[in-house]
Amino acid sequence: MEEARRRIQGGSGVSAVAGVAAEKKDPRARRITALLVAPGIIWMVLFLVVPMLMMVYVSFWTQKTFTIEPTLTLNSWIAFFSSETYFGALLRTIRIWLIVLAATFFLGYPTALFIGLFIKNKTIQTIVLVLCVVPFWTSFLIRVLAWRPMLGKEGAVNIVLQKIGLISQPIEVLLFTEFSVVIGMTQIYVVFMVGPIAFMLSRIDPSLIEAARDLGASTWRIFRTIIFPLSLPGVVVGAIFVSVMVLGEFATSAALSGRKVNLLGNIIVTQVGSLKWAFAAVVGVMLTAVMAIVVAALLRLADLRKEL
Amino acid sequence: MENRPILRSALALYTALFIGFLYAPFVVLGILSFQSGPEGGPQFPITEWSTYWYEHIFGLTPPSRVAPLPIGETLVRSLTLAFTTMVTSTVLGTMTAQAFRRRFKGSGFVFYLVVLGMIVPGVLVGLGIALVANNLGISRAWWGTAFVAHVVYTFPFAFLVMLAIFNRFDKSVEEAAWSLGVPPMRTFRKVTFPLIFPGVLSSMLFAFTLSYDEFPRTLFAAGADLTLPLAIYGTFAVEIHPNLFAFGVLTTLFSFSLLTVYGILMSISIHRAKKVAIQEEIE
Repeated sequence: MEEARRRIQGGSGVSAVAGVAAEKKDPRARRITALLVAPGIIWMVLFLVVPMLMMVYVSFWTQKTFTIEPTLTLNSWIAFFSSETYFGALLRTIRIWLIVLAATFFLGYPTALFIGLFIKNKTIQTIVLVLCVVPFWTSFLIRVLAWRPMLGKEGAVNIVLQKIGLISQPIEVLLFTEFSVVIGMTQIYVVFMVGPIAFMLSRIDPSLIEAARDLGASTWRIFRTIIFPLSLPGVVVGAIFVSVMVLGEFATSAALSGRKVNLLGNIIVTQVGSLKWAFAAVVGVMLTAVMAIVVAALLRLADLRKEL
Repeated sequence: MENRPILRSALALYTALFIGFLYAPFVVLGILSFQSGPEGGPQFPITEWSTYWYEHIFGLTPPSRVAPLPIGETLVRSLTLAFTTMVTSTVLGTMTAQAFRRRFKGSGFVFYLVVLGMIVPGVLVGLGIALVANNLGISRAWWGTAFVAHVVYTFPFAFLVMLAIFNRFDKSVEEAAWSLGVPPMRTFRKVTFPLIFPGVLSSMLFAFTLSYDEFPRTLFAAGADLTLPLAIYGTFAVEIHPNLFAFGVLTTLFSFSLLTVYGILMSISIHRAKKVAIQEEIE
């Protein structure tokens, strides 16, 4: 993720580097630029913007048993908000997102602190970060599945806990509950929190901390007034990554909850499965709205543009 | 902060535990992939160590009640899809990033439009593309609708990688070639491309691995013929067997060999760049 940050950083730096006045007036150069960006723009508009707009449009269509008709209606929307199951899924999605976000932050921050601030050698820093990213290079679905033999009634966690005599009976609520979904998501997404924070921490000027210590500040005070505020942009970037991915999740909850925990993503999948496209579109729009609010709120926490 | 030994060792210990947390499921998965078959289940204890499930994947075991994983065809599809996605998104990413080397009107808008592709959740992109395809009467297929959805996801990665590369790139080298009368295409091939090669390699690696493993976008967009992740997902619904674990170990090894190839190519290109620099110094 450090990579991503650096790349985004590149994005805003571009305007400062490029743009010699003479080139700007050169019509040939402008034509080349237009030709270069056009395919990318067209691709994104056709295959991302149009589909998203289509989703909003279809959410107002009339749902027949197996088909949808372009007669505009609010029925699907009313059905969403009047149904306990669907509205419940919205609340559950928000709850699980908050729990996973908190878990990735609290589990990830100490590690980021160690990597970013305590390891001074850049090579070792990179090695430890790569070590964290390596699990990412296995299949996403297999990674989720790997938690089943860990958390099951006869799973590794229960066996270890019984061996060391902490419990006498296997704990059954570990798997196929909200708990297992939260554990699975935390393990998969925590890396996205560690990376950006570690990156911001490694940029802190050590003399700043030294100066504070020379002036008699305690470690906790240094953390509270210098280190944490300076790492905040990393926290925000990490939180955006984690939020966007957790909110759009459905595979982890399907695999680790025994289909008991239904998130908005799961509702979309089942609705499409039974050809209820209009209803799936409503859930999709709701998901987009939640996501937009979350990202906008996170961006208010830190001025990323100033940092990048 | 390094002069706080207790805090330092506490955090080091924590980081070790944290990495253990990241790896534990894989260790368990790896161990269980050597479960005896076909009656051994996907849990402890290991009744007998064997490579049965690995043989099972390659169809080397006598038929049993456990159906073989639908790998053959789906693997070919996934590899083809990953390859075309890789080429397309790297070309698009390089072109767009090349355009960004010049200031142009609306560059901010283009930047966010492209980056949006990696932010919007896959399930929504898949749903949207499926809706558009259905309404236009286009049948959904892995090589069509799923392919464009994959590129929407991987193109931003390629773009950002190339942007970072171009940002660190000394423009005067190109200008020197131009002023010596080398035509633009030849300059690109002989001067620009070797310089940006590490970036191209990185965006290819990103695009390939992301597409090869891509699941939520493919789910609605792929139509009837399944890709590998879809086939794996299909086996979730029914009982799982240790053959999935063995398969997990094999895919991990495959990813690592890709990473190794990437590492080797990268070090070759860095080595070559160094050699050129030394030669220049001598001359």
